[in-house]
Amino acid sequence: MTSEALAFDVASFDLEAAARRERRQTTRNRAVLAAGLVLSLLWIVPFYYLAVSVFKTNAEYGSGNPLALPQSLRPLVENVLDAWSRTKMAYGLFNSALYGLCGAGAAVFLAALAAYGLARIDFNGKTFWFLLIFSGTVFPFQMYLIPLFISYSKLGLVNTRLGMILFYTAICIPFPVLVLRNYMAQLPREMDEAARVDGCSEWRIFRSIVLPNCLRPMMALFLIQFTWVWNDLLFSMVLTSREEVRSVMNGLMVLQGGYAATTPNVVMAATLIASLPTLVLFLALRRFFMEGLKISTL
Amino acid sequence: MESSTRPSQEMTFGHPRPLPPLSRMMALERRRARRRLWTGLAFMAPAILFVAVFLLYPVGFNVYVSLTQWAKFSGFDRFAGLENYLLVFSSPKFGEAALNTGIWIVASLVFPVVLGLALALLLRGLQFQEALKSVFFLPRMFSATAVGVIWYYVYGNQGIINSFLRGLGLGGLVERWLYEPLWATPSMILTHVWQTVGLIMVLLLLGLNALPSEPIEAAKVDGAGRWQVFRHVILPLLMPTLLVVTIVSVLAGFTSFDLVWVMGRDYPNRSTLTLAVNQYWESFRANQWAYGSAIAVILGFFALGVTWIQTVLQHRLERR
Repeated sequence: MTSEALAFDVASFDLEAAARRERRQTTRNRAVLAAGLVLSLLWIVPFYYLAVSVFKTNAEYGSGNPLALPQSLRPLVENVLDAWSRTKMAYGLFNSALYGLCGAGAAVFLAALAAYGLARIDFNGKTFWFLLIFSGTVFPFQMYLIPLFISYSKLGLVNTRLGMILFYTAICIPFPVLVLRNYMAQLPREMDEAARVDGCSEWRIFRSIVLPNCLRPMMALFLIQFTWVWNDLLFSMVLTSREEVRSVMNGLMVLQGGYAATTPNVVMAATLIASLPTLVLFLALRRFFMEGLKISTL
Repeated sequence: MESSTRPSQEMTFGHPRPLPPLSRMMALERRRARRRLWTGLAFMAPAILFVAVFLLYPVGFNVYVSLTQWAKFSGFDRFAGLENYLLVFSSPKFGEAALNTGIWIVASLVFPVVLGLALALLLRGLQFQEALKSVFFLPRMFSATAVGVIWYYVYGNQGIINSFLRGLGLGGLVERWLYEPLWATPSMILTHVWQTVGLIMVLLLLGLNALPSEPIEAAKVDGAGRWQVFRHVILPLLMPTLLVVTIVSVLAGFTSFDLVWVMGRDYPNRSTLTLAVNQYWESFRANQWAYGSAIAVILGFFALGVTWIQTVLQHRLERR
């Protein structure tokens, strides 16, 4: 009887403690969640500011609360048209898309080739060649600027689309080589050994066995590099100046230089247009981006 | 004929063929190794070519230009030794830019990593984790140019911060943030942290989720508190990730150009804002190519130093 009562007591004590712990846990979780939500709201205030400013007329922007909702949605059209014509934005968007697609696309493909050589073929002196490619990530961009400009001037590549694509291809290569080498090294080797015994050429093995297995990381790397090219300002500033060739970010920078004080709402509209493509890409393919970051840490 | 070399077929013939002499086998293996070398190089050739021509050759050329008297239009003049470097180091503009860059380095060493870690720990295992992660990562998808433009207005006279201060009746605190030498660099650093923390957080979350759970559980069973578990179990395990993330943050911080260039529009002497801006200005606005390339080499040495420190620390972590 006494032992039974004792057992009952212990059990009830335990239950109560567990319940208390549970309650404390949930209140703590709620507090953390609240903190996270408040912080994330603070985080998007600049985006909210951008979103409301593009709907304001110049006079409306200059007077009153910067975070106030716009009086009407109509000024957006005028702001966008203004921004569109003042920086020749159609050229900018086209050029940035071209540089991003060609530069990042070629770079990821060439990187996959190089990674195959590094990860799947045994030969001496591999480390040297790997370090050679990898050294492309060590130096700050400032070291490339003057020589590039001098050489491009001599070769007539300044202010050309070809020159931009070639350089963006080069600068986008080292990082994917690093990632894809690690990725390919962990794929099982039995299949290509079997294919090799069957007399398959290395090119066939690369194309029909390894490449199809690397499409997901390649897609993720392409997205990362495309976004980088799209967002780059420095190299476009140094290597291009003509409206027809420069990238969209370069155009935005020039627009801000000329109209930052007089028509902020137009500059804001241009900022939105220039950012929208990569933003949509991210929101649509978020999983790929996050996976890209994941494989980058392999 | 070709298929007869397969082991399975050899067995069916009953008697194995005699092995070729050792010297021939070694010669064959050497030939095969050489073929593998050329195949490997063929696969790597395009990448190596691009990197060598567009990235490594410029680095060498830059060092060379920095040792000459190179003018934009006439080209090479004469070999100048370290003259450009002496000029750079004795320039007050360089001094100011170097000081600001130093502030950038220290700030990007501390703030993004500490805040990123705090956010990662906060968000781990939380409801809506994925959505919140995206919110904090979002600024990273904008270009530094776009972010610079937006924050240029955030800090402006009509901007959020000054309006907020006026609304609180603190009109006396209203500043021209990007115009004042005291405030310009901290303001830009705040923007930079806002933009980069999301990436650091995501990388640290990946690192945290990859940690083995046994030591953490064991510490909890042994009665370790929340802080003790973090300080003595999680933090040491996370060290390799933290190191990589810190290096990435520093290297991105001290050469960041786009943001500073766009936000520094109103700064009294923009070329002194950071070394990256200083280098661009001297090279492409003042056309002092030799001088500008000397600044680039100084930045390059710094980057090499950081990379060297990273490898040393990594080795030390691995040995532990």
